[in-house]
Amino acid sequence: MTTQYVLQAEDVAIHYGGVKALDGVAITLEKGQIRGLIGPNGAGKSTVIDAITGRTRLTRGKIVLDGEDVSHLGAVERRRRGLSRSFQRTSIFGGMTVLKQVELASYKMGVEDPIADAHAVLEELNLDNLTHVNAEDLGYGEQRRLDLALALVGRPKLLMLDEPMAGLSVMESLDLAQHLKALTSRWDVSVLLVEHDMDVVFGISDVVTVFELGRAIADGDPASVRANPRVREAYLGSAA
Amino acid sequence: MTLTRISMLSLLAIAAGFGTVQLGISSSLLGVFTQAVVYAIFALGVGVLLRQNGLVSFGHALYFGAAGYGMGVILALDWMPAELAIPVVLFAIAVFAFVIGLVIVRVPGIAFGMLTLAIGQMAYLMASRARGITGGSDGMRINWPATLFGYSESALLKPVTLFLVAWVLMVVVTFVLVCILRTRFGSITEAIRDNEERARFIGITTTMPRAAVYALSAFVTGIAGVLSSLNTGFVSPENLHWSVSAITLLMVVVGGVKRLVGPIIGAIVYFLFKDLLGEHATHSMALFGAALIAVIVFSPHGIVGALEHLRIRLRYGPVAQRKTP
Repeated sequence: MTTQYVLQAEDVAIHYGGVKALDGVAITLEKGQIRGLIGPNGAGKSTVIDAITGRTRLTRGKIVLDGEDVSHLGAVERRRRGLSRSFQRTSIFGGMTVLKQVELASYKMGVEDPIADAHAVLEELNLDNLTHVNAEDLGYGEQRRLDLALALVGRPKLLMLDEPMAGLSVMESLDLAQHLKALTSRWDVSVLLVEHDMDVVFGISDVVTVFELGRAIADGDPASVRANPRVREAYLGSAA
Repeated sequence: MTLTRISMLSLLAIAAGFGTVQLGISSSLLGVFTQAVVYAIFALGVGVLLRQNGLVSFGHALYFGAAGYGMGVILALDWMPAELAIPVVLFAIAVFAFVIGLVIVRVPGIAFGMLTLAIGQMAYLMASRARGITGGSDGMRINWPATLFGYSESALLKPVTLFLVAWVLMVVVTFVLVCILRTRFGSITEAIRDNEERARFIGITTTMPRAAVYALSAFVTGIAGVLSSLNTGFVSPENLHWSVSAITLLMVVVGGVKRLVGPIIGAIVYFLFKDLLGEHATHSMALFGAALIAVIVFSPHGIVGALEHLRIRLRYGPVAQRKTP
């Protein structure tokens, strides 16, 4: 039986003049799978997300989403096909209420009942008691969850999370991570997770890819990656 | 606020306009009021652009003046009846602005302001030099017909009638804008204004709505231009000058853009301020400038923002509250 991939990124390269931000990266994601991306700062993790979502133009390579080559499509078209993301820095609509923006995102995804969908997503992320609050008046942790809610509406096929735990306390991170794992499993969403919190990455990922200088240096299940001497030397060090 | 409540408030505002003319105000003061209302509509156009696109235009006088020139040229050449010429001119302005908007709204911040300034000043120079069509720097008289929409010119040009026409139009334009901005289009443009990149990543195409807002704001400014040409019966390159755009922008900043009524309040305050100064009006810009600095320092969201802050404070007390609209 052949494996059904939600995402196939093949030979992806992004060069800025002589600087190779990504060079020949290949990543796959199966349905419902969570893949953690780790590596030191500047390794190219966020650039991978930018390349897949269409935020950055590819120098070379191909992005295939659920069997369709989306390399030539812009960010808007890719989102409409189920490729969603959150940002390293919280990215929400500050002047709009929580419900209004999530409902708008849901509407743009072509959901039949955007209000019901928005309420469902907000409930999942424990934001249902803040629906009429302006986003700029939310606390930081609430804003992070709102960012996630915007990415989750319309039940995307593939969700890319760029350091979703940044700025959260240890307890908040672990709580959000477990919640995320349960939610994506229930909704059958594949996840590409860039995160510096090793407990979170190794705790919820099915597979882990390690980046260094724009290239993947290791790939496999969390235990084998954690034990990989090259990974320990390049990134994990004593944290492993 | 519900649509019913907004409709009621609009009807009340129209009634207030009719009430004002019953107060026995002198014709000269009524003339000042009419000019204030014309500029209030102009400021609404500039305000909509700032509110929905977050963009500052230094060249909206282009659409204010173009409406006057459009009417003047069409009526001088007798191409069509004035009743038809008005929508034709406004439609042409909106289409022109939309096409220009598709290019310039992609440019962020101050660069957008400079582009609008450049385009506006190009129009100013063209109008100043094309003597054969526009009368050059002397301007052109607008040959309004003897009757317009069934009313004789003499009846229409009475200060009371002109004020009421302008006032009712201002209320109607505001009401229509409120209705438009409450639709999905309003939410989409707000989202783009707040965070264009995030908007793209929830599936919103960002250029078209921004260009549409630019066209809408030009259309509203065009209405003010047509009214002004009816009020004065004259249009000159001065109507296109960047300083007209700048003064209107000041009105918008003073009034605030959080609510659509802000630019209207800003325009009325500006004209009343100028009128109250009387013979000291030659220094009006310096004094208005000082008032502007005070508003920016003490209430960055303008008069309307200050009033809203006061309302929240009175309702919830001095402790900062999570604001719900």
